[in-house]
Amino acid sequence: MDAVIEVNDLVKEYIVTKKESGLRGALKGLLFPEKKTVRGVDGITFSIAQGEIVGYIGPNGAGKSTTIKMLTGILHPTSGSIKVCGISPQADRKSVVRKLGVVFGQRTQLYWDLRLGESFELLRRIYQIDKETYEDNLSILTDVLKLHEFIHTPVRQLSLGQRMRGDIAAAMLHSPSILFLDEPTIGLDADAKHAIRLFIKEINQKRGVTVILTTHDLDDVEQLCSRLVVVNHGKVVEDGPMASLIHKLAPHRLLVVELQHPFSDLSHPLAEIIKQDGLKIWYQFEKDRISAAQLISELSQKLPIQDLSVKEPNIEDAIREVYKAT
Amino acid sequence: MLQAYWYMTKMRLLTSLAYRFEVFASVGTNLILMLASVFLWKAAYGGGTQQINALSLQDLTTYTVLSIMLASVFVCGVQDTIYYKIREGQIVTDFYRPIPLLACYLADDLGGMLSAMINKVIPLFIFAALFFGIPWPASISGFLLFIPSCLLSYAILWLLSALIGLIAFWVMELGNMGMVKDSIVRVLSGSIVPLWFFPESVQTLSKFLPFMYTYQTPLGIYIGNIGLQDALAAMGVQFIWIALLFILLAVCWKRTKSKTLIQGG
Amino acid sequence: MGSSIRHYFSVAACFARLAIQRQLEYPLFLFSWLLMIPIQYFSGIWMLKIIVDRFQPLNGWDFPELTFLYGLGLISHGIFVVFFINTWQIDRMVIEGAFDRLLLRPMNVFFQLIASYINFIGLIDCIPGIIIFIYGCQLVGFEWTFLNIIKLLLVLLGGVMIRAALFISLGTIAFWTKRNASMVGFTLAMLERGTMYPISIYPYAIQVLFTFILPIGFISFYPAAEFLNKSSEAFQLPLSFALATPVIGFACFFLSQWIFRFGMKSYESAGS
Repeated sequence: MDAVIEVNDLVKEYIVTKKESGLRGALKGLLFPEKKTVRGVDGITFSIAQGEIVGYIGPNGAGKSTTIKMLTGILHPTSGSIKVCGISPQADRKSVVRKLGVVFGQRTQLYWDLRLGESFELLRRIYQIDKETYEDNLSILTDVLKLHEFIHTPVRQLSLGQRMRGDIAAAMLHSPSILFLDEPTIGLDADAKHAIRLFIKEINQKRGVTVILTTHDLDDVEQLCSRLVVVNHGKVVEDGPMASLIHKLAPHRLLVVELQHPFSDLSHPLAEIIKQDGLKIWYQFEKDRISAAQLISELSQKLPIQDLSVKEPNIEDAIREVYKAT
Repeated sequence: MLQAYWYMTKMRLLTSLAYRFEVFASVGTNLILMLASVFLWKAAYGGGTQQINALSLQDLTTYTVLSIMLASVFVCGVQDTIYYKIREGQIVTDFYRPIPLLACYLADDLGGMLSAMINKVIPLFIFAALFFGIPWPASISGFLLFIPSCLLSYAILWLLSALIGLIAFWVMELGNMGMVKDSIVRVLSGSIVPLWFFPESVQTLSKFLPFMYTYQTPLGIYIGNIGLQDALAAMGVQFIWIALLFILLAVCWKRTKSKTLIQGG
Repeated sequence: MGSSIRHYFSVAACFARLAIQRQLEYPLFLFSWLLMIPIQYFSGIWMLKIIVDRFQPLNGWDFPELTFLYGLGLISHGIFVVFFINTWQIDRMVIEGAFDRLLLRPMNVFFQLIASYINFIGLIDCIPGIIIFIYGCQLVGFEWTFLNIIKLLLVLLGGVMIRAALFISLGTIAFWTKRNASMVGFTLAMLERGTMYPISIYPYAIQVLFTFILPIGFISFYPAAEFLNKSSEAFQLPLSFALATPVIGFACFFLSQWIFRFGMKSYESAGS
């Protein structure tokens, strides 16, 4: 398969001004500001093939957003090369961005005071979408994202989930072949997350859209991505198929059990008790060695269980934990 | 208690000092206004040495230079602070703070004033001295009265600003009325052209308005156009205005506070 | 080329329509502007009158001529404020990372910056300008011949371009400094003093500055001097202003474009 995105030894440096505290520090900063260089992205290399859904993950400040901003032509790299569909986004921004759809979960491109549909009209003109394509796309997007419920509502009155659906639709109107999603499910309720994941799968399967996704949500990654690129401190630390990486990064699950009354023998051969607080017990288990369902059924045979829940590990914590050394 | 206010003053002082570029630009702006006004007066005198309304070119130069410096020191952020707090709906939570709100805003503005002394007045003074010579006061007594008169001026301006800020409680949609007040103050305070040159009717009217007592009074004292006796009388009027505005502000503040707390903003 | 121009026009028209809609969302908000702007500018000309009445004409500029100059400067300011107000916001946009979105669209970034907000509220600034200018024309006996009107329009066009070029160049600084709100205040102050008073009242160095380096003098002073046949001015310029102002305006505007493009390279998108 052809690579639609090729990144080679990408570096981005920032100059930050150090601010000191106190009156003396402020005066000093006024006269002699102290500057230092920071490497936000430190030699990243990867390539992405047409039709992949890639999770680009890592802790805050790892350089995820900076990389995406360079891929989309917003930022200029300090060194290294980027090719998107064979073109450098820095050299020919306008040609590249026609092929891209970009959604920033934390920032909207919709006009706050205007109805959703009016922002779409503007985009239709900006991307010179002909009427037929526009109406086709809009009707598909309306179907999947259920836009008809709020397309005539001013954006400021939309719920976060509706706004996000609107933003995704806005990014897809011009039929881009690559979609960048920067934390698309942040702060959304389960319904909205579900709708958005369905949509991503659908455009990927039906239209072959390549999707690059940054997220803090492990469910997003597990349900959507075929491949993960993990970054930490501006470097790629892992790059491979999702399943094996998830296992490597986060092999454990937690089972939290609440008992009806105290019980003496709590142990299980495949689960480790990591915490106990009154009648609440935390079991840690590896999901490859025993499934959650089996563990629950075995424990419930001997323990007087009142309530239980299975917890996913936090992917950020897992990454930070695994790559502490680097 | 006082420590809390000092802390706010200090924080404001520190943050204003931190913005190096803003400071340079602001000094530059005031410098331009200063140069332009002084050269305007020079052209008006046309190189002659005559006195007009008993004022020489040197008097007016000093007047203008000092006026610009006062304008950069008289920090009345309170009108914008109240306006934005109301717009963002933040004012209600602020009401529940344990210390009086207006005093907090004053502490904040005083911090701005202190930092303006350091990073605006000193450079402006140096530039003015380089271009036009040191703007000496007419007399020592004039200078000694100028300082307290300035403080009274600031009190008047600050109270006016706070009052204007309150308008937003009642008619939010009208935008920032502080700008309107500022444009009136600029003219009627004599900060650009002293009111002595204005038509008789305007001068008479101004005697009954607070604006003249914010810039023209201290500046007139400084350049010696207002004698000792008149100066003391003018400062008396400043006091009266402060008392009136203070009472007005206290009443309005109480009413708006109860209105806001009842309606929940 | 033709289709590209049509593309930009259709987007500009759509932006303008949306801008009107957005501004009409909060109509009362205009009230304070509607009060402040006329107070500010009418009092400005009033104070000039007071000075001239009490003293003497300023370097040979009497009150009617000053009014003509002041009005001309103010109209070009008003037009500028309608079309280019977004140049005052470059720093805010840099801090908020707002250029990200503009960069993601297949259009010229500067075009999007300017076209995305036509400030109809700025027409309020034009009203005192037009009134004062027409009053000034009456006082000086300006002849409304066809040629004069064409010259006037060219001067206004060039003047707006010079103003725009200045604010674009200064706004570009925000790409490095992140803050330049007070630069806007600084430039506004300079433009006001440089276009609404005759620059011949300033020292020689400032006249040179306002003629050759920051050509503010071409916005209103030199054109007004020629309209009013005031030949005793500081510099005898070889070109007739009607040609000079728009030519200089366009030259500055293209230069500022280049500076802006250079600055965009240093854009560091903020936020996460």
